[in-house]
Amino acid sequence: MSILKINDLEKHEEHSLVFPAFCLEVSEHEVVAIHSSTNVRTVLVKLFLGELPVSSGELSINGQELTKSKDAYFDQVGMYLLDDGLYERLSVKDHFSFFQKLYGSELSMDEALRMTQLEPKRNIRLSRLTASEKRRVHFGRLLFQNPALFIFEEPDQNTDLETKRVFLKLVRKLSEKGKGVLVLTGNMESALSVTDKVCRLDETGLHVLDVVFDEETTDAPSKEEFKSEDQIIEEEIIIQPVRFEKIPTKVNDKIVLFDPPEIDYIESNEGQSNIYIKGEMYPSVFTMTELENRLHPYGFFRCHRSYIVNLQKVREVVTWTRNSFTLVLGDAKKSSIPLSKTKMAELKGMLGLK
Amino acid sequence: MTFSLKRTMAIFQKDYKDVSKNMYVSFTVVIPIFMAFLYGWQGNMTIDMHYVVFNMTLSLVGAYVQCSLIAEEKEKNTLRGLMLSPASTLEILAGKSLLTFITTMIIIVLSAYIVDYQPESMGLVAVGMILSAIFYIGLGTLLGLVTKSVMEASVVIMPFFFIFTFGSFAAGLAEKFPILKVAEYMPNSQLVELAKAVEAGGGFGDVWTYLAVISAWIAASFLLAYATFKKRMMD
Repeated sequence: MSILKINDLEKHEEHSLVFPAFCLEVSEHEVVAIHSSTNVRTVLVKLFLGELPVSSGELSINGQELTKSKDAYFDQVGMYLLDDGLYERLSVKDHFSFFQKLYGSELSMDEALRMTQLEPKRNIRLSRLTASEKRRVHFGRLLFQNPALFIFEEPDQNTDLETKRVFLKLVRKLSEKGKGVLVLTGNMESALSVTDKVCRLDETGLHVLDVVFDEETTDAPSKEEFKSEDQIIEEEIIIQPVRFEKIPTKVNDKIVLFDPPEIDYIESNEGQSNIYIKGEMYPSVFTMTELENRLHPYGFFRCHRSYIVNLQKVREVVTWTRNSFTLVLGDAKKSSIPLSKTKMAELKGMLGLK
Repeated sequence: MTFSLKRTMAIFQKDYKDVSKNMYVSFTVVIPIFMAFLYGWQGNMTIDMHYVVFNMTLSLVGAYVQCSLIAEEKEKNTLRGLMLSPASTLEILAGKSLLTFITTMIIIVLSAYIVDYQPESMGLVAVGMILSAIFYIGLGTLLGLVTKSVMEASVVIMPFFFIFTFGSFAAGLAEKFPILKVAEYMPNSQLVELAKAVEAGGGFGDVWTYLAVISAWIAASFLLAYATFKKRMMD
């Protein structure tokens, strides 16, 4: 049974499209992360809060809609938002006892302190805590509230390792208890560390990322094994009758697969090839030559010794002098990529120019 | 939605702890007591002078503390958290008002003791005081909803503080400037008149008009506060 149900939700701001209609469901025990730009995230949060009206589509939590009953809706959802405040003059203990009474919670103070790792700080005023510790107090508030759906906005942005660890543990525990968790973040790494179900939401819509759990690194094999496995993988690729269509990248201990058309360009840096997608960098497991061979059928072009570019994304070819060229891409950042003069002739040929 | 005393008390306790550590507000609370000491030393005070202290307490403690309690929640972005919690607006305001009310009453009793004020009829004066305190809490709520920070609140409260503390003197000038006759109907002047009537040995029959006028002020302040709240929540 799904807790959060988003059906054909769509948002326009003034005349521009923030995101087109998309559907998303978060069910019990499920943790979903939405990776988006700050703008999209802010709009999403406002929709959840009811500060912006849901103009088209539906948004319901446990069957409760905001427009029908505000109280029933907010009973079902607990939110941690970036600009939430706390009472600076009260201690952690005061906060927790206040939350406990406010939400009429059964959770004991010690349990909450333990889960947020704030035991040593219990009698310390909030103004003397670090930003990371304050965030854990917020997490404590949600524990006391104990709603069906938890929404976290950038939960581990600018926090220390301890808080990240507490957060990950918390999310795991919540999902075990049958809660739904939705994480809104602009950081792919943080999204991937929380869950395997990562979606990207932007003006082109909602895309679910294929994440394959990478067992190689979690098992921490010795170097030799690592090498042999690598060889096996290479052999497999050679044997594979169907051409592998997705390009794997490695983020932490996970492998994220991308469709070749998503890729903007690839840059090689000190022997490591990095794939750029919408301004984010993902280290690739392949070398430039391997990538060039794999991606050639998809309209990719090795424009420089250390660059491969997706020709579909090239907007302009700028000629600086007779021998120096730059490719400007049509992405949001207008990335520019060098083009070697030897490759210029080849490119012209591909474009059908003389 | 049922009114939960438990949640109201939770908010009351939280605010009590918060305010007791807030030097900015707690210092303001002490000012009327200083004034009471100053007047108390001079001796043989008139009713008017007693009531300067009491009216100051009401406006500084009743209105200002309530106003800054609400303004601070807004300033620190904690009000939204409260609004999203199961606590209703009524419970939130009740918790805060209760704290303000109790503080106001304690300060009034303390300063009455210091200036050695013993009214003829304690009951009638107490009713007048309680009604006035409720009016000032309504005023504080209204101002708290309009202001955005504690700093702004302390500026906005100043004109009200002057009007309601020293405004009763304006009634004395009413013979010269007929327009100032309005000042007689201010809640602070009404409270002073009530006290004078009580001192002259009047019973409930003599003072009910004053109580009625103060009640009208209460109704006005709460209605305005409610309207402001509705308007603010729409934004």
